[in-house]
Amino acid sequence: MLELVNVTKTYGQAIAVNGVSLSIPAGSMVGILGRSGAGKSTLLRMINRLAEPTSGDVLWQGKSVLHLRGSTLRAWRARCGMMFQQFNLSPRLDVLTNVLVGSVSRRPTLQTLIKYFPAEERARAILELHALDMADLALQRAGTLSGGQQQRVAIARTMMQLPDLVLADEPIASLDPANAETVMSALSSISQERGITVLVNLHSLDIARTYCPRIIGMAKGKVVFDGSPDQLDAAMVEKIYGRRKSTESALAPAVSTTLSSIPTGEVA
Amino acid sequence: MSKSVDPTTNSDRSSWRLEQIVDHFEAERSRNLRRGRLQQLFQILVVTLLLGGAFQASGLFSSYLGDGALGRIGNFLSRLLPQLHHDRLFEDRATSGSLLYWFYDLDLWLKLLAETVQIAIVATVLGAIFALPLSFLAARNLAPAVWVYWTVRRISELVRTLPDIILALILVAAFGLGPIPGVIALTLGTTASLTKLFAEANEAADMHQLEAVQSAGGNWWQQLRFGLMPQVLPNLASYSLLRLEINVGGAAALGIVGAGGIGVELSRAITFTEFDTYFAVLIMIVGLIFVLDLTSEAIRDRLTGLEKGA
Amino acid sequence: MTAGSDLIERATLIAPNSVYPPWINRFGRWICWVGGLILFGWMCHNLDLRLDVLARGFTKLGVLTKAMFPPFANGGELRIVQSLLDTFAMAVSGTVLGIIVALPLGIIGAKTVIRNPVIHFAVRRTLDILRGVPVLVWALVMISAFGLGPIAGVIALALADFPHLSKQFAEAIENSDTRPSQGILASGGNRIEAMRLGLLPQVVPVMASQSLYTLESNFRNAAILGVVGAGGIGFELEERIRIFAFDQVAWIVVAYVLSVTLLDWLSSQVRARLV
Ligand SMILES: Nc1ncnc2c1ncn2[C@@H]1O[C@H](COP(=O)(O)OP(=O)(O)OP(=O)(O)O)[C@@H](O)[C@H]1O
Ligand SMILES: [Mg+2]
Repeated sequence: MLELVNVTKTYGQAIAVNGVSLSIPAGSMVGILGRSGAGKSTLLRMINRLAEPTSGDVLWQGKSVLHLRGSTLRAWRARCGMMFQQFNLSPRLDVLTNVLVGSVSRRPTLQTLIKYFPAEERARAILELHALDMADLALQRAGTLSGGQQQRVAIARTMMQLPDLVLADEPIASLDPANAETVMSALSSISQERGITVLVNLHSLDIARTYCPRIIGMAKGKVVFDGSPDQLDAAMVEKIYGRRKSTESALAPAVSTTLSSIPTGEVA
Repeated sequence: MSKSVDPTTNSDRSSWRLEQIVDHFEAERSRNLRRGRLQQLFQILVVTLLLGGAFQASGLFSSYLGDGALGRIGNFLSRLLPQLHHDRLFEDRATSGSLLYWFYDLDLWLKLLAETVQIAIVATVLGAIFALPLSFLAARNLAPAVWVYWTVRRISELVRTLPDIILALILVAAFGLGPIPGVIALTLGTTASLTKLFAEANEAADMHQLEAVQSAGGNWWQQLRFGLMPQVLPNLASYSLLRLEINVGGAAALGIVGAGGIGVELSRAITFTEFDTYFAVLIMIVGLIFVLDLTSEAIRDRLTGLEKGA
Repeated sequence: MTAGSDLIERATLIAPNSVYPPWINRFGRWICWVGGLILFGWMCHNLDLRLDVLARGFTKLGVLTKAMFPPFANGGELRIVQSLLDTFAMAVSGTVLGIIVALPLGIIGAKTVIRNPVIHFAVRRTLDILRGVPVLVWALVMISAFGLGPIAGVIALALADFPHLSKQFAEAIENSDTRPSQGILASGGNRIEAMRLGLLPQVVPVMASQSLYTLESNFRNAAILGVVGAGGIGFELEERIRIFAFDQVAWIVVAYVLSVTLLDWLSSQVRARLV
């Protein structure tokens, strides 16, 4: 069980996440929706401590993860697999090594620095790749793969961490629909078959409805919706995404700033 | 250089009418033009004065070049060229007029040339080894603290202001004649300049790849190994090769102050006014550097080409 | 352990080469490293780079460094500043001379100006060869030709610079946008006008910036030319080292470093304005 208690994150004056409290039972698959800038990424990054909450608490199985330091912090990060929109693989390393990166936290540092991984870890990596139909590309450079293939490598890397939790930050935002389906169903089966909690940031309502039994909507750093797909009606969608601003009012100030900046905007 | 726009005047101006804005713009423009002309005049004046002073001080136009200058250069050039006889060109070294007579100490020169290359290679390798960890400290995105970044950068700049030869001159006083002061001087210069170049490559790296390793529980070293090194390694190798080219030239010159390598033979030839020998050695140095440049350029092209391919 | 060997067994069925890579993949890298290391050790051995020699040298260097503090000019401040100015003058003159030679060569060497590939190739290759000669090597020759003194240094600097500058100038011309020139030709201008209005505004700032870089490096080079007899700060330095007056050496080095820093800063200010 993952619990967030009144978690807030501010960047200077800006409030990225504002008093979010959630509790997410183990093994559930949760989709997080919201406009750009709503604080979705920040929320996920606070869970594995890539960002530090300004206030509030994050608990895993009843224990706070905010005081973790050094190797225990790294162990916690390994238990939270993270996936990114741009995959963030090392394009020049081969697929297998990219997947093996998922095991570095439990290996002796010196061995990893010379890229030594024992046969058991390599076997595990191959099996994870095989589960995603990627085993025959294991020795190819990651940079030569298509986006969908790269994201599957990223899933395998995440699974290599033997995670309790997967934090996926817009994993399908740069994929075509077919690849998006592949990746989402892989995440879905990870959650159902292995009992891993999956939190996934999404931009597509339909995808969220199809794959996520529970959907959370965020706006301006706050949770504005938390429920099942059928509770997500038009009014709720408008609450999450807000009303589009009128074109006129958006344009007027822009024009005046551009003109007034001409005389002073010296560019040598 | 762009000046930051003052927010207060900006909001005032947003209420201006268009004509006012245009008037203001025109006035500003003509003022700028006038200022520009004055500045240009001033710059020309300064440059002229500077040049006049410089030529005066360096004696470029002074009379002491004299009438005999052309004759002297001609005489010198003729002494630079060896006495070769086309029919005796391939005779042995005892026959005057043969190629071997000209290159009379070829074995020694080849040995010294090899020493020069080895000085350059050892210094480049050592420099790159020292520069790698320093470049992490000297990269803004990797340095553990701003003061560390600042200090390493300043020190590397400081060392770079000192030419290899001057370092070698001081080191020869400590280590005695021979290749060792040369190696140390070049290593110092190489470390300083590669630290800067490596650090710039590190700063251009995509930090998301490091973050991915961090989010997998990787520690600092593992982030560098799997997130950073694959990105920057081709660049680092290419910079090191470039530096190797420079160092071969540097090592050739270092011998002139007694720091080992082929330069020793150059200064000996000059001291004994064996100008044809000087020319022979010079040809060997230039040939070596030329061949090296071509190979290293080909390798560097391949390295950076790989980078583009990925 | 059984779980582990079970994993390995299943994975080996899927991709045997990935679980147990062929020996060349596993050890090839190590063989290269060891080979390189042996080669490196052999070179160090040839250069007599032994630990005891190094230790003795560094001890002596420590003594010399101690003698450097506090830096002391021994009444020679004025002379040192004077020789710094001389060195700067040598650098400026050498740079200007180099630019004068490099300008026509740069234009001839540009692919876009001289279309004849033979001329282009010949000019570029000759410059490539000349670029290999270190400035100190030029200086030795020039000093025997012109005698001791700054004039030999100036010519040596120019000789060392012009191949680099020509290449950079040629590249600046090649990389310039040809559309403005074409526009001027199309609207009835002649070739000279096209160059003056279409090409010059693009290439002059680039060339000026490269010339300033050359000036910076020439200030350093001019300093080392003094060592072989071209006068200036290098001569002062060499003299002090020969008599083991390391407190004065330190004074000169500090003065030199400060003036190099100042020149680099000034030059970077001007360059920032240019581009
Ligand atoms: N490192 C940072 N420094 C300053 N502000 C930040 C930083 N990271 C995020 N923010 C701000 O926090 C707010 C929330 O950002 P976040 O990236 O979490 O939004 P998001 O919902 O993930 O948006 P998107 O859909 O575009 O990815 C934004 O206003 C953003 O500008
Ligand atoms: Mg985001």
